[in-house]
Amino acid sequence: MKKIHAVAAGIIVLAVVILSLVLTTFNLVPSTTGVRSLGKFFLENSYFGEYSAKSPEVVTSILWDYRGLDTIYETSVFFLAIISSLALYRLGNSIEVENNSETTGSGLSFIVKGVVKLVSVMIIAVSASIALHGHLTPGGGFQGGSALAVVPLLVLVAFSKFALEKLGYTKDRAMIVRSLSLVGIAIVAVIPLLFGGYIMQNQPIFPARIGGQLTSGSLILYNIFEYLAVAAGFTAVFLLLATPEKIFKKLLGVKDE
Amino acid sequence: MIAEFLWSIVIISIVGAILISLYGIARRPSLVKKLIALTILTDSANVLAIMIGYRLIYPIAPPVLPKLSEEGLAEFLATAVDPLPQALVITAVVIGMAVNILIAFAIIQIYRIYGTTDIRKIAKVIKK
Repeated sequence: MKKIHAVAAGIIVLAVVILSLVLTTFNLVPSTTGVRSLGKFFLENSYFGEYSAKSPEVVTSILWDYRGLDTIYETSVFFLAIISSLALYRLGNSIEVENNSETTGSGLSFIVKGVVKLVSVMIIAVSASIALHGHLTPGGGFQGGSALAVVPLLVLVAFSKFALEKLGYTKDRAMIVRSLSLVGIAIVAVIPLLFGGYIMQNQPIFPARIGGQLTSGSLILYNIFEYLAVAAGFTAVFLLLATPEKIFKKLLGVKDE
Repeated sequence: MIAEFLWSIVIISIVGAILISLYGIARRPSLVKKLIALTILTDSANVLAIMIGYRLIYPIAPPVLPKLSEEGLAEFLATAVDPLPQALVITAVVIGMAVNILIAFAIIQIYRIYGTTDIRKIAKVIKK
């Protein structure tokens, strides 16, 4: 580390401490001991109350019920970002086939492979638990999907891109799963219109309990679809990132130095 | 008093991280370092949003109902944090991740074509 960097770091730390001391003495720091009225409304109504989402997890009920349209727009931004990434990295089909026959590496050692095999199953179970309990405990579709996307990443590193594609997890299939899941979200969102409700309405259109189990109406459906969509989207991106560099160089017409 | 002091240190540190990341985005010539600074900016902003929903009391509980009966509701309302910032941050985190992937892909593609991620060198090549 250069001397000037150490001095700059010291000045920043000193400034933070002095500024906090000044702000504390004059009582200028924004801090609250209560909840804002909007937050209180959500806390009161998420399971009990007149505008209930029938979910004890307040964050999920805001995410997919009270502010559901925000999440729909957010999912479309996510979809567009992944699609743009795939468009930036597009490959011709002929090149992809050629790539598969070329790169049949043996992967990492058998210890790593064995561990990956064991851990993958555990990750799938944990991520499914995170997603399916999203309306009961902290968690949900995004978190579960991100956790599930770790499995293809591990397999890519320990085995190879080809091993994953030989098992049938190709980029195109991931995109099909992703599109189907997004269609599922859209269908769940418009179902209430058929019963005279509003778009993305949850209660009382969807049953709060199925077979005595609390399912919180549409929340569990949204979580399942979002889980699959996020996991498949990230899988497609990881598969593209694992494509060997020389194939892109050939495609772009850049010389290998 | 000590709680308020520690609280203000946390808040000001987050604001400081935001300022440093803005410096990184504006002044670092490497695109990769710009992306790292951008992720620091989004994460700091998210932590700040979570902090807005936090309450300076003890004990404090997450916004999840502990049991499905109305008798515990008053105690829950007295201890639970504001759930709205957390719901907004969840969406922000996932969008941020997808947008970061898009930017990273663009940077890798730029590196393949120009052989560098230094924007000064890239600008020179483009001008020619």
